[in-house]
Amino acid sequence: MVRMILAFVIAMVAAAIVGSIIQTQFNLAALAELSVPISFDTRISTIIHDLLHFSPMFAVIVAAVMMIALPVAYALARWQQHRERWWFTLAGFIGLLVGFWVVNNLAPMPTLIAATRTWTGLLSMALTGGFAGWLFDRLWRPTPQELAEPVL
Amino acid sequence: MIGLNKVLMAGVAACAVFLTPLTSAQDPADFEVMVIANDLTHPWSLVELPEQPLNFLVTERDGGFKLVSELGFIDEIPLELPGLFVTGQAGLFAVSLAPDFESSRELYFSYACGVANANTTCVARGTLSRTRPLKVSDVKQIYVAQSLREGGAHYGGRMVWLPDDTLVLTLGDGFDYREEAQNLQNHFGKIVRMTRDGEPAADNPFPHKAGGYIYSYGHRNSQGLVYDSEADNLWQHEHGPRGGDELNRIQPGKNYGWPIASYGIDYTGALVTPYEELPGVAMPEYQWTPSLAPADMVLYRGSEFPEWQGALLVTHLAGKRMQVLKQSANGWEVVHEIKLAEQQRLRAVTGASDGAIYLLTDSPQGQLLRLSRAEN
Repeated sequence: MVRMILAFVIAMVAAAIVGSIIQTQFNLAALAELSVPISFDTRISTIIHDLLHFSPMFAVIVAAVMMIALPVAYALARWQQHRERWWFTLAGFIGLLVGFWVVNNLAPMPTLIAATRTWTGLLSMALTGGFAGWLFDRLWRPTPQELAEPVL
Repeated sequence: MIGLNKVLMAGVAACAVFLTPLTSAQDPADFEVMVIANDLTHPWSLVELPEQPLNFLVTERDGGFKLVSELGFIDEIPLELPGLFVTGQAGLFAVSLAPDFESSRELYFSYACGVANANTTCVARGTLSRTRPLKVSDVKQIYVAQSLREGGAHYGGRMVWLPDDTLVLTLGDGFDYREEAQNLQNHFGKIVRMTRDGEPAADNPFPHKAGGYIYSYGHRNSQGLVYDSEADNLWQHEHGPRGGDELNRIQPGKNYGWPIASYGIDYTGALVTPYEELPGVAMPEYQWTPSLAPADMVLYRGSEFPEWQGALLVTHLAGKRMQVLKQSANGWEVVHEIKLAEQQRLRAVTGASDGAIYLLTDSPQGQLLRLSRAEN
């Protein structure tokens, strides 16, 4: 149980960090298309700002999605055990796609997360859900080969 | 019978004076408020009829159009706007009297038009009858903002007339189309200027772009617009995202920065832009962070509050207050802040011929309120 909770927390934090960095790149790319100069320092400071201010909200969305997606993945994995890792990854990805759709229907604005306005942005952000599912299963139920790998 | 009941109820409401004590940043005892009318459905704009002092034309977001007397009697005015689209923030916005209204009887309406996946802001012109029952005839759509968008957010919709009889209209960025506010090939996030017939004004700054309508650009969602004829200044305010509501002095051809420069951040906490200022971007004259959601404003020229002469009265939705902004050597500053005891969202404001200030609250049961100085 402790291992599962730890795996869940680590997966959510990691997904929130990766998702935050991805959405920053989409927002800055949109500005760059408008000929706004984005220096390396500006990019880094924007990433840091968003990690501090965007990722907590995103972690809540990912965690809420995964509370449903991961048990579904577990059920599917019992049916096809040799594809367990794939089921967790796919459940995270599809779960986050559905999660964005639900959030946009509940929130007063058309699209809550600006980076998901385009298909490229939407799929990229949903990949963080896949990453969360993959990482959760990797930490919770590592394969014998993975257990044999050195930590460092 | 239903109509009679409505009139009676409105009359009762108007008689129930001084219902609502006010709180003010300075002296609460200075003000009193009277409920003139109740049960207005998300009322949006408020215009006093020149030939009937203290009788107000009121638009409602669901398409309703009413005349409210100073005693609270309400006349429904039938209005059929071509393609009216009502959802979320979309619907009927402002009504504006033509500069020669007393002879022409012409009214201009800004409203959302189209359907859920293809809509925009439109302007229609109609003629108000001189006699009761009031009706609007010859309604014709004269302007359609380019381009169509999905969703029901950020339409702008305030109008004001300049001395050369051109009509200036604010337009929103459609929320999901924020980058388009910088694109001069469409009307997202622009202020446009047109003739009485809806044609682009001849001396607009970008005659060869987007039909020649654009007057200024880089706006998010602007719902406050005032022309100061004494100083020849056009004042505008607009909603920022989280923070960064702006008061701007609008000059033709200028870029007001959205979304490349802003004092606000996105609702998610992410930066919309890392820049608060950029070269070539006009800076706001005043900005609100955190946001109060400014919804309308008027330049006060009344007699009831002589100390507010020349001040901008700004109503706020989320901020649930009216602010009085005066210009000093240090720029604009808030000199008064007035909240209703019930903490209501305030949508529209106007100064009427009796010198008092009239306010519309934003709610499914919106009210018309009269703000005046306490007699004692």
